Amino acid sequence: MRTLPTMLRKELLETWRTYRFLILAVVFLIFALMSPLIAKLTPDIMKMSFGKSLGIQLPKPTSVDSWTQFYKNIGQMGIFVVAIMFSGTMSQELGKGTLVNLVTKGLPRWVVVCSKYISLLLQWVVILTASFLVTWGYTAYYFPDHKTPHIFLGFLPLLVFGMFFLAVILFGSTLARNSYSGLLFTILVMGVLYLVNLFKAAQNYNPVTLIGDNMAITQGTKTLVKIAPGMAVAVAAAVLLVIGAVAVLNRQKL
Amino acid sequence: MNNNWQLLIKYLPIFIPIIILELALMITALIHVLRHPHYRFGNKVLWIIIVVVFQIIGPIVYFAFGRGDDSRG
Amino acid sequence: MDDILTVQHVQKSFGSKHVLQDVDFSIPTGSIFGFVGENGAGKTTTMRMILGLEKPDKGTITVGGEPVTFGATKTNRITGYLPDVPAFYDYMTPAEYLDLCARITGIDQRRQRIAKMLDLVGLKPDKHRIRGFSRGMKQRLGIAQALLNEPRLLICDEPTSALDPAGRNEFLELLASLRGQVTVLFSTHILSDVERISDRVGILHDGRLQACDTLVNLHKQFGRSQIVLTLADGATAQRCRQALAPLAVQAQGTIVTVTYHGDYAATVSQILRALVAANIAPVSLQQENPTLEQIFLEVIGDAHAAHDA
Repeated sequence: MRTLPTMLRKELLETWRTYRFLILAVVFLIFALMSPLIAKLTPDIMKMSFGKSLGIQLPKPTSVDSWTQFYKNIGQMGIFVVAIMFSGTMSQELGKGTLVNLVTKGLPRWVVVCSKYISLLLQWVVILTASFLVTWGYTAYYFPDHKTPHIFLGFLPLLVFGMFFLAVILFGSTLARNSYSGLLFTILVMGVLYLVNLFKAAQNYNPVTLIGDNMAITQGTKTLVKIAPGMAVAVAAAVLLVIGAVAVLNRQKL
Repeated sequence: MNNNWQLLIKYLPIFIPIIILELALMITALIHVLRHPHYRFGNKVLWIIIVVVFQIIGPIVYFAFGRGDDSRG
Repeated sequence: MDDILTVQHVQKSFGSKHVLQDVDFSIPTGSIFGFVGENGAGKTTTMRMILGLEKPDKGTITVGGEPVTFGATKTNRITGYLPDVPAFYDYMTPAEYLDLCARITGIDQRRQRIAKMLDLVGLKPDKHRIRGFSRGMKQRLGIAQALLNEPRLLICDEPTSALDPAGRNEFLELLASLRGQVTVLFSTHILSDVERISDRVGILHDGRLQACDTLVNLHKQFGRSQIVLTLADGATAQRCRQALAPLAVQAQGTIVTVTYHGDYAATVSQILRALVAANIAPVSLQQENPTLEQIFLEVIGDAHAAHDA
């Protein structure tokens, strides 16, 4: 227990000095800035490329378009970048043998897993909240309408999804000896979840609903309660995956 | 052309931070490429081109896959 | 004198490969123990088991009287470990890395201890990150982290094999300077290193410790001392060989080698009497002490003979 803050410090120093935090923050902020911009420019771009020949009148963009862009950018590209950046978090240590010195000095292995998970969660919450605030500010400035009443409720599932997604990354990374196979595991899990999503009955229980239904909740066409099972599954799975990662690391050869 | 200028001015508050962030990412990656001449694959010139030409994606790919182990021995 | 480490009937196999058949030895407190064996003999595996990084299939290991358990073993409090290729966090400075280690071990007055360790191994406490370190510098940082918690047992895996001659010399002197403060177990395939600093030697071969004793005793037991005579020409050498026939004699060119066990003086006088009787005057007569290499080959040879029989 005493070593947990020490290892958390080490993890945060690592993500800072290896530029991982910086890259993620910059990429997410760019996504956040792009969202209202793309929403605003899409009709103009269409007009420019098609000229006057475009018969139909394009609807004026609203805050709905801006937030749609946000959840599309983060929920697809964003989490993929997160997976790329963090899929080596444990596998690199296992591959290089950097844990040998620490474990032979009495570092419990569960502390390694937990410090990494906490560090990943902290980064996710900070970066995601910052990008959310940026998109919120610009959307409020450029689209002063009332079409997106539940901004926070729509954002909450995405935040919770991170708990699950980061646990998947960490578990995959603990199984692997290089970051590529760790990444593969994460992609595989997401693939399976999207396949499961084809069955209507399972949709509300599926963690991917947390990155799929954000707009419906933001606009008020779906309630948060509806996807509560999905959230519960995501949190439970996250806990199990972290415990699983500890169990795997306890058996791993360092 | 006039239309484009209007667009640019109108969305300047959003363009400026995007450009700054992209440049920051590119320069960070560029400095890293120049100062750590060991890559998992490829060579210095290739990585400079990737980092400079492909905005956002280039630096990510470099930091995720191109950056090598720096140790000498 | 107590034994700080005892390894009792330890067996280990990876898949169908029996790496360690039955390893059994102990190290008395205060000694420098050289662990010798060919590459792949199982030295690293034995050491990793002592550290709880590997689980023995059978047998028990105790360090400082406490049994070693797999995973996080309590005995690691009193051990220091230098892996064959120590891996550090490249983005840290040596001082930062030692601070991390010190916090994990729970050392009081970290600052002084770290400064002392850096000084001992000759690394500067500056802002240079480990990323730019050479093999030798990494090895020095490795010994600093291994000694950080003032261990009673220091375990070094092939500490000199990656170093150049100057670095090796420096490292051996550092190890030798620890004599009396720390019990050292170090593995190597460089026999001259063992001869230089260790007082006890264990020879691992075919999954068993074929010999384990003090250097002096090994010399007595396995050392075949030799006396080398140089003669004027080949014909004289042959005559000499016949004259010394009752002894174990070999002749090659103008060189005649006599292998003997036991007392040097007695053997020499026996040789001289025989030579005088045969009227042969050697150009030179020289005593050759057995090297550890000869002992090593002898021990391994015995093992093969026992195996074949």
